[in-house]
Amino acid sequence: MANEHTPFLENVPAYAIGALDAEETVALEAHLRACESCRAELAAYRDVTANLVMTTPPQPPPASLRETLRGQMPHAPKKVTPRPVSWSVGQWALGAAAVVLLGLSLFGIRQVQVLQRQQAAMSRQLENEQAALAMLSYPGAENLTIEGDNVAGRLLLDKERNAAVLVLWDVPSIAQDETYQIWLIAPNGDRTSAGLFRPESGARLTTESILPTQDLSKFTGLGVTVEPAGGSDQPTGPRLFKIDF
Amino acid sequence: MLDTDENDLVARLVRGDEDAFLALYDRYSSRVFGLTLRILGDPLLAEEATQDTFLKLWNRAGLYLAERGSLVVWLLTIARHTALDRLRLESRRPALSESYDIGDGWHSLADAGSLSEESRWRSLSFAVQALSPEHRRVIELAYYQGMSQSEISEVLGWPLGTVKTRMRAALQNLRHAWNET
Repeated sequence: MANEHTPFLENVPAYAIGALDAEETVALEAHLRACESCRAELAAYRDVTANLVMTTPPQPPPASLRETLRGQMPHAPKKVTPRPVSWSVGQWALGAAAVVLLGLSLFGIRQVQVLQRQQAAMSRQLENEQAALAMLSYPGAENLTIEGDNVAGRLLLDKERNAAVLVLWDVPSIAQDETYQIWLIAPNGDRTSAGLFRPESGARLTTESILPTQDLSKFTGLGVTVEPAGGSDQPTGPRLFKIDF
Repeated sequence: MLDTDENDLVARLVRGDEDAFLALYDRYSSRVFGLTLRILGDPLLAEEATQDTFLKLWNRAGLYLAERGSLVVWLLTIARHTALDRLRLESRRPALSESYDIGDGWHSLADAGSLSEESRWRSLSFAVQALSPEHRRVIELAYYQGMSQSEISEVLGWPLGTVKTRMRAALQNLRHAWNET
């Protein structure tokens, strides 16, 4: 047992700093799911590597950056203030458009309306939904089906505009010290983090914009895993789903 | 962990308070910019990565949990991921000669952490400085350039086994120093 265990244990430090090669990463991640002692070792090394950020000297950024960020902040408190969209439709028509394009039933129309009212107080969620609906109108946008063991939904993907939105139904709730983490998957299997999210309590619909800091055309898949709050350098937890594109 | 003032700022930030956001920006922008500049080696790219990081703070503040650790470490972790993603996007691998002199990078300054946290960070900094040049090099390339052990082996011309051994030894040293404080 010790002979089988040792190679994995030796790879834990490199994994903690994000330097383990792809093939060894896959093997170690599989081992970690079943080995509590290696997970404890990983947590100990992560405690160190996470705090390495504090050893870099500070350096003041350009003064203009503060004003740039100030200009990007919403000018109103966070409440429902629908932003102008290129199509002028009412709440019902917005729901109907989503239903038609997502292929949902009449029951789904009412469900979408109920969900939109429930989430109307959260402007960020509303913005994600508007982003999703906007993408549905793009000719080049792909509308891909997600089918996981515990979740279903759509991935809306437009590589030309480098934009993507996840639309998920019934995302399982997770512990307070956990988060869902989105991973973009390269052809060689490398994972690149693309954001964190948590399902809203009581909400059946979760939409999440993929932060467009990556060139989506360089990736061939997307996955979501459960990670410790704050995220991980590489996937460590159970997978919610994976989709190829 | 958070002091009362920072706890209040985070709570206000989650509610969309722009003044709280700017207060946190004033407090940590130098840390973030210093780290992204260290990784990207280009002030313009570092500025963009810093901007992206604070926008993520604005959008993700609700995900932060004080019991998991310092806000500054959480924020800098986001900054590091953001900068490394940008590094990969740009396919930017500065020649080793363009890298910062290793001796320039490893010291910490007083920070808004608890006394015990500052003490540990300082110990960690000293431990990094105390690493042998070879050990420090592999940590440097892994942490600030996001390289895998194979990539480090190729760049430095060292056998892969040597890279692995040095990586493991360096991190064991740092772990020992971190836990000793």
